[in-house]
Amino acid sequence: MAGAVKRYSGLMDWLTTVDHKKIGILYLISAGIFFLFGGVEALLIRLQLFFPEQNLFGENTAEIFNQLITMHGTTMIFFAAMPLIFALMNAIVPLQIGARDVAFPYVNALSFWLFLFGGVLLNTSYLLGGAPDAGWTAYAALSTKAYSGSGVDFYVLGLQIAGLGTLIGGINFLVTIINMRAPGMTFMRMPLFTWASFVTSALVLFAFPAITVALVLLMFDRLFNAQFFEVAGGGNVVLWEHIFWIFGHPEVYILILPAFGIISEVLSTFSHKRLFGYGTMVFATALIGFLGFMVWVHHMFTVGLGPIANAIFAIATMLIAVPTGIKIFNWLLTMWGGHIRFTAASLYAIGFIPTFVIGGMTGIMLTLPPADFQFQDSYFVVAHFHYTIVGGLIFGMFSGMYYWWPKMFGRMLNETMGKISFWFFFVGFHMTFFIQHWLGLDGMPRRVYTYLAGQGFEKGNFISTIGAMLMGVSIIVMMINIIVTQMKKADAPADPWDGRTLEWAISSPAPEYNFAQLPRVRGLDALWIEKMAGNKGMIPAEPLAEIHMPSPSIMPFVKALGLFIAGYGFMFNGNTKATSLPVVGFVFEHYILAAAGVAVFLFGMFLRSVYDDQGFHIPIEEIHVDQEENA
Amino acid sequence: MASHSNESHAVDYKKAKSKHSAKLHYLTFSLSMILTVISFYIVGNIIDPAREYAITSWTFGLPFITLLAIVQALFQLIFWMHMNEKGHLFPAMGIALGGFIAFTAVIATVYWLGW
Repeated sequence: MAGAVKRYSGLMDWLTTVDHKKIGILYLISAGIFFLFGGVEALLIRLQLFFPEQNLFGENTAEIFNQLITMHGTTMIFFAAMPLIFALMNAIVPLQIGARDVAFPYVNALSFWLFLFGGVLLNTSYLLGGAPDAGWTAYAALSTKAYSGSGVDFYVLGLQIAGLGTLIGGINFLVTIINMRAPGMTFMRMPLFTWASFVTSALVLFAFPAITVALVLLMFDRLFNAQFFEVAGGGNVVLWEHIFWIFGHPEVYILILPAFGIISEVLSTFSHKRLFGYGTMVFATALIGFLGFMVWVHHMFTVGLGPIANAIFAIATMLIAVPTGIKIFNWLLTMWGGHIRFTAASLYAIGFIPTFVIGGMTGIMLTLPPADFQFQDSYFVVAHFHYTIVGGLIFGMFSGMYYWWPKMFGRMLNETMGKISFWFFFVGFHMTFFIQHWLGLDGMPRRVYTYLAGQGFEKGNFISTIGAMLMGVSIIVMMINIIVTQMKKADAPADPWDGRTLEWAISSPAPEYNFAQLPRVRGLDALWIEKMAGNKGMIPAEPLAEIHMPSPSIMPFVKALGLFIAGYGFMFNGNTKATSLPVVGFVFEHYILAAAGVAVFLFGMFLRSVYDDQGFHIPIEEIHVDQEENA
Repeated sequence: MASHSNESHAVDYKKAKSKHSAKLHYLTFSLSMILTVISFYIVGNIIDPAREYAITSWTFGLPFITLLAIVQALFQLIFWMHMNEKGHLFPAMGIALGGFIAFTAVIATVYWLGW
């Protein structure tokens, strides 16, 4: 029996928590805030393009526009989409496999804090000399010191810190899914969202080292005068494109696969049917994950790697359409003949299918190198990837949010407001981006801050901006919905949707230990099997006993804070503005601040290594009290 | 009594097994040393980068010591990190997949497409 462990409350509870459900909520809140940042940036971009030849931000409009598009892309991909995925993975995966927590709860908290501090570091660039302005891809030459502002330093360091968190998060979920499944939960009985999370985590494990290498090289170029990307010094700029896209292409599958998983769960639940073709869905998910690593050159067709390279990577890319097509047909056949309920969650899932098919189709068009030479760097590309990322990932995430909100917060989101929000989003989305296909085909280049009147771009841009505003309205309705819902009593039933998987077998929100007794899983859709057998809930696989829990710790927060401080230390060391500061100037002269930050991190690692934390136990009486409350 | 003899059999088996594995450890360790000495010898004797066909030339020497490095890495993984024992399916799959992806990326970027 371990000694008494302090259990915090209030703010300290959130700072020290290692509970996967609370970390999921933290991820969701921070993802939401970054999503709003990215959304405001998007609206500003669209407002600048509302009419031809505008200068919305004064004489520096072009520079500010470059910062806005860079920050919009970076924020949305790394600090809104990724944490949204990790939010739902954290909140749901352990419940779906019948586990009490993730494999490494402490490391899980570290993942979150590293991500958050990385994101905060990146966004402080607005206040400290301008945001990064080299595009979210930060192509070298443009992102080297000669051609870009100090903002790119924030990009390089912020993404390294956040990427570290993502990488260890991916490892954590791999270990969790391999090792912590409940008795009877074989791999081929795992819900599809868990499968998607598994494959996504593997992709994170293999893809993030590539971006880390790229960022480290760029950091050395920018901060320590190395010459990896300096052509004059024997460096090579195409190297960046290769490494970036070796990461970047798997990254888009990291984003979309969890959405595929959510859509599978939601369509199956709201069609009142078992998922059609479960085995092929699993196979397709794994295959997409694997092929995702073999196609990065399709982002570089116009670099000039030659017809053979382009042809091979074009064909490899077209291959991905096969497993994706399998998925689309499986979803359609899941709904076929089902008893479909149109809730906000299922509307997003059903809206996802045609939207994503359009995005996939333009993807095939972009795969053809001769055509790609025409589409390259035009609004056609912008339309394509917004169809896959917003129409794919964001539709999937919103669907998952409405679906699992009661499980995460114990409250049901208002359905009417949810549906209003959906229709605004759906119409607004297609208005914004469908027209951009034609803008691109007519020759409007992306990443250019304005356009001339009389070239036929006015109407398209006008419609597009109106659509973006509708999406803004949708998000406002959704926020009102969330605020109103959170002010109500937490009274959601355990199983509001007549669910099929394990997370609906326990109360909403789940108790701290998830399962009082680990469930025995007898097949795919574990809870549904018990429902059909006339059982009230899951059959326990173990007697009721004390539950061993990990103890909370402030150290993940402190460690991430250490790297955050070190980031500023590295960026501003030797910076004339920083060294001339009255009191703290000297710490920017000899890497003192950087060393201090790194020291905090290393000290945290040292403490973690020598201090043997035994955790604590939840007594049986407490479990009984919980069960009576929920009965 | 039966259970007792079973137990002692198990202990004997374990002992024999660990003896066998210790032998392999010594063997691979000394082989690794020899391979290291060979690599050092080759690197130490590469004087003329233009020299061809000799074991100490760049054209042969560089790929050859890379091969020796791979062999050593395999020794380390298989015998010292216990990949030859049961229950390592996922690490093995992970290493194989990661190796394959890294190999594709490096070969394609460096040797085929050029950077």
